[in-house]
Amino acid sequence: MRVVILGGGTAGWMTAAALAALLPRDRCDLRLIESEAIGTVGVGEATLPQMRAFNDAIGVIEADMIRRTNATFKLGIEFVDWGFEGSNYVHPFGAHGHPIGGVPFHHHWQRAAAAGLADPIDDYSFAITAARARRFDFPESDLNSIRSTYDYAYHFDAGLYAAFLREFAERRGVVRIEGKFVEVLQHPESGLIEGVRMESGDIIAGDLFVDCTGFRSAIAGATLGAAWEDWSHWLPCDRAFAVPSERMEDVPPFTKSIARGAGWQWQIPLQNRTGNGIIYSSAFIDDDGARDLLMANLPNAAMQEPRGLRFTPGRRTGSWAKNCVAVGLSSGFLEPLESTSIYLIQVAAMNLVALFPERADDAVLASEFNRRMDMEYDRIRDFLILHYHANRRDEPMWRYCREMPVPDSLAEKIEAFRHRASVPRYGEGLFSPPSWVSVFFGQGLTPEAVHPLAGAMPEDALAKQLAAIRARIADGVAAMPRHDEFVTDYAEWGL
Amino acid sequence: MSGGVRSVAVVGRDTAAWVIALGLRRALSGIGVKVSVVELPSALGPADMHATLPSLANLHGVLGLQEEALFVRCGAVPSLGQQFAGWSAAPFVLGYDVSRPAINDVDFVQFWSLARRQGMRVAFEDFSLAAAAAKQGRIATARPGKAGQAPQPGYHLSAPAYAALLRQGCVAMGIEIRTSATIAAERDGERVTAVALDDGGRVEADLFIDASGSERALIGHDGFEPWSDAFPATHLFTGALPPLDPLPAHARIVAAPDGWGGLFPLQGMTAVAGHAAGEEAAHRIAASLGPVRNLTVRRFTPGMLRRSWIGNVAAVGEAAVALERLDAGESQLLQVALSNLVALWPVDRDDMQEARDYDRAMASHAGNIRDFQQAHYRLCDRPEPFWQAARAAAPSLDLAARLALFGARGIVSHRDDESYEPQLWAAMMIGHGVIPAESAPAVDRTPPEEAIGKIQQLLHVIAEEVRAMPGVSDVIAAKRAGR
Repeated sequence: MRVVILGGGTAGWMTAAALAALLPRDRCDLRLIESEAIGTVGVGEATLPQMRAFNDAIGVIEADMIRRTNATFKLGIEFVDWGFEGSNYVHPFGAHGHPIGGVPFHHHWQRAAAAGLADPIDDYSFAITAARARRFDFPESDLNSIRSTYDYAYHFDAGLYAAFLREFAERRGVVRIEGKFVEVLQHPESGLIEGVRMESGDIIAGDLFVDCTGFRSAIAGATLGAAWEDWSHWLPCDRAFAVPSERMEDVPPFTKSIARGAGWQWQIPLQNRTGNGIIYSSAFIDDDGARDLLMANLPNAAMQEPRGLRFTPGRRTGSWAKNCVAVGLSSGFLEPLESTSIYLIQVAAMNLVALFPERADDAVLASEFNRRMDMEYDRIRDFLILHYHANRRDEPMWRYCREMPVPDSLAEKIEAFRHRASVPRYGEGLFSPPSWVSVFFGQGLTPEAVHPLAGAMPEDALAKQLAAIRARIADGVAAMPRHDEFVTDYAEWGL
Repeated sequence: MSGGVRSVAVVGRDTAAWVIALGLRRALSGIGVKVSVVELPSALGPADMHATLPSLANLHGVLGLQEEALFVRCGAVPSLGQQFAGWSAAPFVLGYDVSRPAINDVDFVQFWSLARRQGMRVAFEDFSLAAAAAKQGRIATARPGKAGQAPQPGYHLSAPAYAALLRQGCVAMGIEIRTSATIAAERDGERVTAVALDDGGRVEADLFIDASGSERALIGHDGFEPWSDAFPATHLFTGALPPLDPLPAHARIVAAPDGWGGLFPLQGMTAVAGHAAGEEAAHRIAASLGPVRNLTVRRFTPGMLRRSWIGNVAAVGEAAVALERLDAGESQLLQVALSNLVALWPVDRDDMQEARDYDRAMASHAGNIRDFQQAHYRLCDRPEPFWQAARAAAPSLDLAARLALFGARGIVSHRDDESYEPQLWAAMMIGHGVIPAESAPAVDRTPPEEAIGKIQQLLHVIAEEVRAMPGVSDVIAAKRAGR
């Protein structure tokens, strides 16, 4: 099987690395076409804990990656001014408290909070407490330890990560072809992709194509015409500026997201600099206004001029069509609010490995691939929309978001939370209950009731339990090293 | 909002009623919900049985039932799977494996199907610890071994004895029980306000549970969607045969020209249950299994209610979902109903919005179980018109996709709310003769000699572990003695 990956970047090299590491070398001949003249978007410098499973599966050594990509660790995302001015919550990689009497913690917390007996819910999460204290260590595997109740991910330089994976993939036999392709060659009857014509006139032929051409979607969109499902009525942001700034002192182990009048601003701390950006809705603010807002609110001095980006939120229906699989931005775009871009690439690459075809055009495998990817996109989409929809802010964009009709699948989830503090629990795809708990409460939704069984515990006993959880967390966090020092030591020694 | 649910009345009969009543009583004791039962006449015959999956142990933890009581009082026989005979080319045992073997992180199915296509003859079930133990009449102990986690058994239980044990548990917990041959519901719109009994008494409650089986005494039959296309049998038959000797550690499900009959070993007898196209067929199939005593035949239509919670009435068991007696689906779904009732215990007695989530959970679980059961019918290769008709029934989109993917690649497609683990899906489909057309390319990362070595090693390890397991009769004797 001759596989041709079109485009490098994070999507191209993650796919190349996964195929090279996990498929037998004699079964496929892997080539990747990329041009140094074409920039990459360099998506998602922030990741999710699932990234670790990807590294483990393909054999990337964490310490190497940390060192080579200026990476730091990440325990969650801090949301500032989301939902309402003055709000501040963290979506943690880990649970809040623990179930009591078979009832999930957040029901007990809500009951105690309503009675004035509880501190903010963030204080009962180990991951959040550690993040706010700017401390980090690897989780413990002993499930009885409070230090097993969290997980972690990374912030890294996506450009360096792509370069790191390029080396990894090339060592495993992936052949990189430098240059631009100018034409996609399609069989006139079957519609199968046969190859691409390069600027040089060369033809690169293949049996299976992976479209990692980003927003251009050269094969999936431009050639095969996969339909685009537009989600911009739910996710109004369509433009961004990105700019690096000088390194932060005492590097925090979390991503920061600050809501703005017509969008939001991110801060992603790396070892050597901070990734910043503003993502906004062009219907509600002009480019200059957005850029000025970003530049006026950097944590440190900018290191470059800001770079603009445009996009449309949505996805292509059927990202595997004919003999072409779209991976990354060519298959859809969801804004980086929950660091899902790299996750979606990872899932697509791993699904392609699991469903790797023997023939060019395998409809059964393609349809399973598309089913899995559609589910991932749908579930992430609903979670993102929740951040926009559940708000009490005054600006026109936020008002629009508050009043817009949301997908039924989300409306039902919100209703179940309002009614009885129920959070979604499903087996497949993102996100798990702690994520929903943090965002529902964090955005300022208040349930009208909690699970009736939560009422079984006397209030004074509940207050004692809550205090005990806080104390265990505080003790555990106090014993952790500072994140800043941890990263320095780890990057230096890999220990 | 008017306040929480103060009382629940379970209206129904037999296992479904007692499991739900006892389960709710135990789960809700902390908030003082009054649980009562309106007991309708039992529909069970002396030979009725329940087949359960290993997950029953979780339910019994919730109910506070001791395993010993099952062996002493309910004729329990542990079971590690079901043997299917006469369905497809060769009989096979579908074992309740906990783990899935893999070679170098690639699912064993991929290696087995490759070797099979290259001429290896060893059946897939021989690589199943549960199936191998079941075939030899042995039961695993709890300790994990080299061949993976030890499979836990399900049980075959005498239904009347089990219902009596649960009823006793309800009495011991102080649950008020009223008996009545019939009931009449007093209604206010969609809500039931009270149930009138034969003796003139009335039972009021904030929430009613319909556990009356096919009678659907409270929830009614409106909105029942039959699955008759996929499951063409119209009658359910039950009865008893003498005990098998030696006692098997599995059920035996035998396909017949117009239905199927199952043998489910119990202590002292073998329970018979099956489904057939018509009464005559039921008698014929029963007779083909042996001299069946206490044979009863009743009409039975698999299917489910479109809404299983209406107003303040939630249906459980057969009242909500009528499943064929395959794959222990019934007891599994009863557990699902109980856990969802507890998880969705209403916050407002006058406005039970939780109904929608209960409906959705029940439909999702039931759909997956139905798909698993229907797969047996789809994959059976018998030539008779009954089976042709079953095969002609359109599968759900999910099932069609799952069968196609497994046939092509040996991959089990995951869904939310699954009752059957991927290894059970794989064993079921392969057992019925599906040999995946291709293996994942990743198998080639393991050199053929290494793969063959690992395959042989797995057989040896399984044989060794099974040899060390006690026989099912010894296990029963030990459990009866409280060991």
